[in-house]
Amino acid sequence: MSATTLPARGSAAASARRLLGNGTLIVAAIYLLLLAVFAARQPGALSDSSVTDLFNNALPLALAAAGGTLVVLTRGFDLSVAGVVALTNVLMATQVGDGAGGALEGLAMVVGVGLVVGAVNGYLVAYVRLQSIASTLATMIVTSGLALLVLDAPGGNVPDFVSYGLTDVVAGGIPVAALIALGVVALWLVLRRTDWGVALYAVGADETAAGLAGIPTRRVKFLAYCLAGVFYGLSGYMLSALTATGNPNAGNAYLLLTFAAIAIGGTSFSGGRGGLVGAMIGAATLTLLQKVLFSAGVSSFYTGIFQGLVMILAVLIAAISERLARGRRA
Amino acid sequence: MNWKRIRSCLLGAAAAAGLLGAAASMAPAQAKTYKIYLSLSYSGNAWQSEAANIVKALAATPPYDKMVDLKEVISGTDVQAQISAYESMIAAGADGIISFPVSPTGLNRTIHRGCAKGVLFFMYDATVTEPCAYNVSYITAGFGENTAQALVNELGGKGKIFLSRGVPGNSVDKRHTEGAMYIFKKYPGIHIVDEYYGMWSDQTTQEETAKALAAHPDVDGIWAQAGEDGAIKALLATGRQKLIPVTGENSNGFRLALANPEYQKRGLQGVSSGSPPATAGYAFKLMMEMLVDHRKLPTHNIQYPLPWVPASAVKLCPGDRFENGCNTFPEGKVPDSFVTEVFEPTLVPEISLQSALEGKPTPGATIQKLPATVDAAPDTPGINCQHCKPPKDLYRLTKVQPTVQP
Amino acid sequence: MNPSEVKERLDAARTIPPAAEDASGRAPDPRGARQAGLHGDLWTAIALFSLTAVLILASRWISPSFGGLAQAKAILVLSSFIAVTAFGQQMVILTGGLDLSIASVMTMGGVLTFGWIGASGPALIWGIPLVLVLTAAIGALNGIGVVLLRVPPFIMTLAMGIIVYGAALGFTGGTPRGQPSPALSALFTGHVLGVPPVILLIAVFAALGTLLQLGTAFGRRLYAVGTNPAAAYIAGLPVRRLTLLAYAISGGSSGLAGILMVGYAGGATLTMGQGYQLPSIAAAVVGGTSILGGSGLYLGAVGGALLLTTFSTIISALGIAEGWRTILYGAVILLALLLLRDELYAWIGRAVTRPILPPDASARRNA
Repeated sequence: MSATTLPARGSAAASARRLLGNGTLIVAAIYLLLLAVFAARQPGALSDSSVTDLFNNALPLALAAAGGTLVVLTRGFDLSVAGVVALTNVLMATQVGDGAGGALEGLAMVVGVGLVVGAVNGYLVAYVRLQSIASTLATMIVTSGLALLVLDAPGGNVPDFVSYGLTDVVAGGIPVAALIALGVVALWLVLRRTDWGVALYAVGADETAAGLAGIPTRRVKFLAYCLAGVFYGLSGYMLSALTATGNPNAGNAYLLLTFAAIAIGGTSFSGGRGGLVGAMIGAATLTLLQKVLFSAGVSSFYTGIFQGLVMILAVLIAAISERLARGRRA
Repeated sequence: MNWKRIRSCLLGAAAAAGLLGAAASMAPAQAKTYKIYLSLSYSGNAWQSEAANIVKALAATPPYDKMVDLKEVISGTDVQAQISAYESMIAAGADGIISFPVSPTGLNRTIHRGCAKGVLFFMYDATVTEPCAYNVSYITAGFGENTAQALVNELGGKGKIFLSRGVPGNSVDKRHTEGAMYIFKKYPGIHIVDEYYGMWSDQTTQEETAKALAAHPDVDGIWAQAGEDGAIKALLATGRQKLIPVTGENSNGFRLALANPEYQKRGLQGVSSGSPPATAGYAFKLMMEMLVDHRKLPTHNIQYPLPWVPASAVKLCPGDRFENGCNTFPEGKVPDSFVTEVFEPTLVPEISLQSALEGKPTPGATIQKLPATVDAAPDTPGINCQHCKPPKDLYRLTKVQPTVQP
Repeated sequence: MNPSEVKERLDAARTIPPAAEDASGRAPDPRGARQAGLHGDLWTAIALFSLTAVLILASRWISPSFGGLAQAKAILVLSSFIAVTAFGQQMVILTGGLDLSIASVMTMGGVLTFGWIGASGPALIWGIPLVLVLTAAIGALNGIGVVLLRVPPFIMTLAMGIIVYGAALGFTGGTPRGQPSPALSALFTGHVLGVPPVILLIAVFAALGTLLQLGTAFGRRLYAVGTNPAAAYIAGLPVRRLTLLAYAISGGSSGLAGILMVGYAGGATLTMGQGYQLPSIAAAVVGGTSILGGSGLYLGAVGGALLLTTFSTIISALGIAEGWRTILYGAVILLALLLLRDELYAWIGRAVTRPILPPDASARRNA
């Protein structure tokens, strides 16, 4: 029995899509607003190099948030992102050869590592039924330890092919990072329409109903964690490209930022609502905020206050407009 | 871009002159102002804020007060955030960036791009391996090996010790510990019974030391990095009569403990050394001399002298300055966690306690010229260069000689 | 449909999170709903305390000085900060939320205590209540954001944490200034009944906290809110006020942890709370709190705090590389989670007495 025969599918998927479009559009609007502020405050804000910087800075967090979204959609929390980013980052800096071959080898490695950690998480949560926040905390700690074993101080070298090639521009000014982001978005748009993609939302919205409707809820959740792990690995890969080096503590900053990006991106922490594209734009919003605050001259002690307020405001705006949209339809 | 700024200055001055008429003579022949950014990774401990305050105080000390437009940026412990901050500073037309870098290698490419645009990068205390940046630091001055030898001397070459380290996965922690291990390994009588990470924080060090003491109450000495005041507090909290030698960094609380006659009688000995916040001031003045006087530096890696205050040399300061060789403030004047090495009579004589605590210039002080020579730091891979060989005598003792043979 | 599919459906049906039953509109019966979970929660607490005791005794193998009273005292003292923060964290989790502002609020509490109370004895009398009220007010702001503005708890408390940290940073200019308080330090260095007074304080705190959860209308209603907010609302419970109070309690308990930390460390730093954010969650969850809300007992969270501290004390005494220690720490947390599952208590329960857990009690654990 497959999810396509779900009687509720049409309306559920349609409403899911509507909400997704909604949340994503709102965060995109917030992003554009901030971008306008940035462009107004700082000359050269939209120059080629500045735009490339924006993409390069945002992509690692965007990939991490993309992965986290998959888990949040199932009503879970995945803290292992911090460990996987650190581990894949130090592996990229120490275990990978030069040239395109090395880059591919590295890619295979980070995908593999992410997949393994994701599978462990998925197994513990979906089959052993541990609480996601607790079991992923444990895997986060274990993978951070592994990162320390691989590299005991910042260093190592990320192959130039990765660190220069993937942060550069191609075809006369298109940042490679933008292409990668587009690739992920395209992948998501395809995945979302598969049985698994539809089931993901169903499981997150109401696991019992989904189960009763014949969706293999465990497998759906398991796969969500696996794919999330792969995205964290890719995040570590792109962080390696950005910093061109390994740092066993590189993942720490990602833990809470990832969730902030997901929330700003309009994904609900009670499951079943939201989407990956919004989370990626949410991540880009957070990194753009650094630049906006700088250009606005808010840069010292009180930066945190503005960051926090913007986060709350972004979520509020999203919630209000969603409520308005719903009200109008009703 | 600079020309543009100068022109707008001139235009502004001309407009002001036109408006004010008779007051036109008041408009001074404006000297160039330098756009300097102070980029911190994180703030929130005594060391970081003292170092930043020293830079702010110097930037407000005549004649720099008229020449420097200083902006402080705190970007947090995320490498990407500091990369973004550097990019913004470069884009905003910085003349110089003085910074405590969050990573020795992760910022290199951004720094490299900044250098290409003519931005001067000065790193204080923490370093980067990018060759175009200037590093001003004590890290290469041998904190680890010298304090380790001092501890070995106190212990007579044998005993059980703790290593109270800094942050795991950090290159400074690694360099210090490697230096210390170079000494400890020579002495078969020295047994490291516990090794823990105090995160360079007094509080975490206190908690970790308390755990270690529960396992090994019979420990004979503690080799500590920053956070040593917590190690002392954990020792005292056990209520034990017998204290033991402790080497550590420069917190005021630690120095007061070292000088406490009662503690000395109970067995506390040691030396206070390590990371001085005054480094930031030295780095800032070097950068300004390069910008203003076009000073040329013979090396990009400049070593800051290692502070060295054994228990016998602790001397309380009656006033707000380090005078007559005093090096510690009396209890209650500053918090225990205050890092004492904010003064350096030859390199940063402009600094007072007020400067370090509040970032205010010392009344009446003017910027003094730096000595004509700088100390070159030895090449240390992972600290100040990437693909280089350290000198053979990297762990040469400079502050203390062995009094016991292995 | 083959049998395995049927089984899967049934299993899935059992994992129904109670909050997902919103639509059913069933009114909750606070007492009845609690009764079933309570046994499991008590079992968890008992298991955690026993495991801690066994571990402390067994750690003699690692160090001959271990396994004694000195080690037990050290663990009790060190676990007090996690235990106190875990109380607020658990109260918030009971409502189905999460408090990520604990580290910052604890720091704020410590900074204010250090700056205001200082060495003065009399200042304790007005200072401590004032710090507790202020930190509780920060918590209440979280609550307002969550219940009135409907900001998800995760983002509300995360943002609040960043804001409060920024405020503490600006307020102190980076260096908290003040005086250590001898009276607060005496909590850790003094001796009452042969132990540092803080241990007795925590014991009283644990008893009061558990009593608040089980013995008061507020506590019982809070479980009802966490179990099924919609039903609780329909049943006429003041859901918003209860939730807001839980956040205020969390702010206050983080503030208390900050006050205690000033006593322990003799000073305040802006990083003093950092190490307690994840442990506060871990202690609550290891202690049997369901992240979905409505289930968990403070006694269990205290047990979780003790167990986590014991783990880290023992592991830090092992002479292995930090990477391995970290891995080991993660692994034992995982092991504890695997061992402390409700299925296990159900099994023990069946072995010891009659079945005491209805099937859905175990399901509530799974997020």
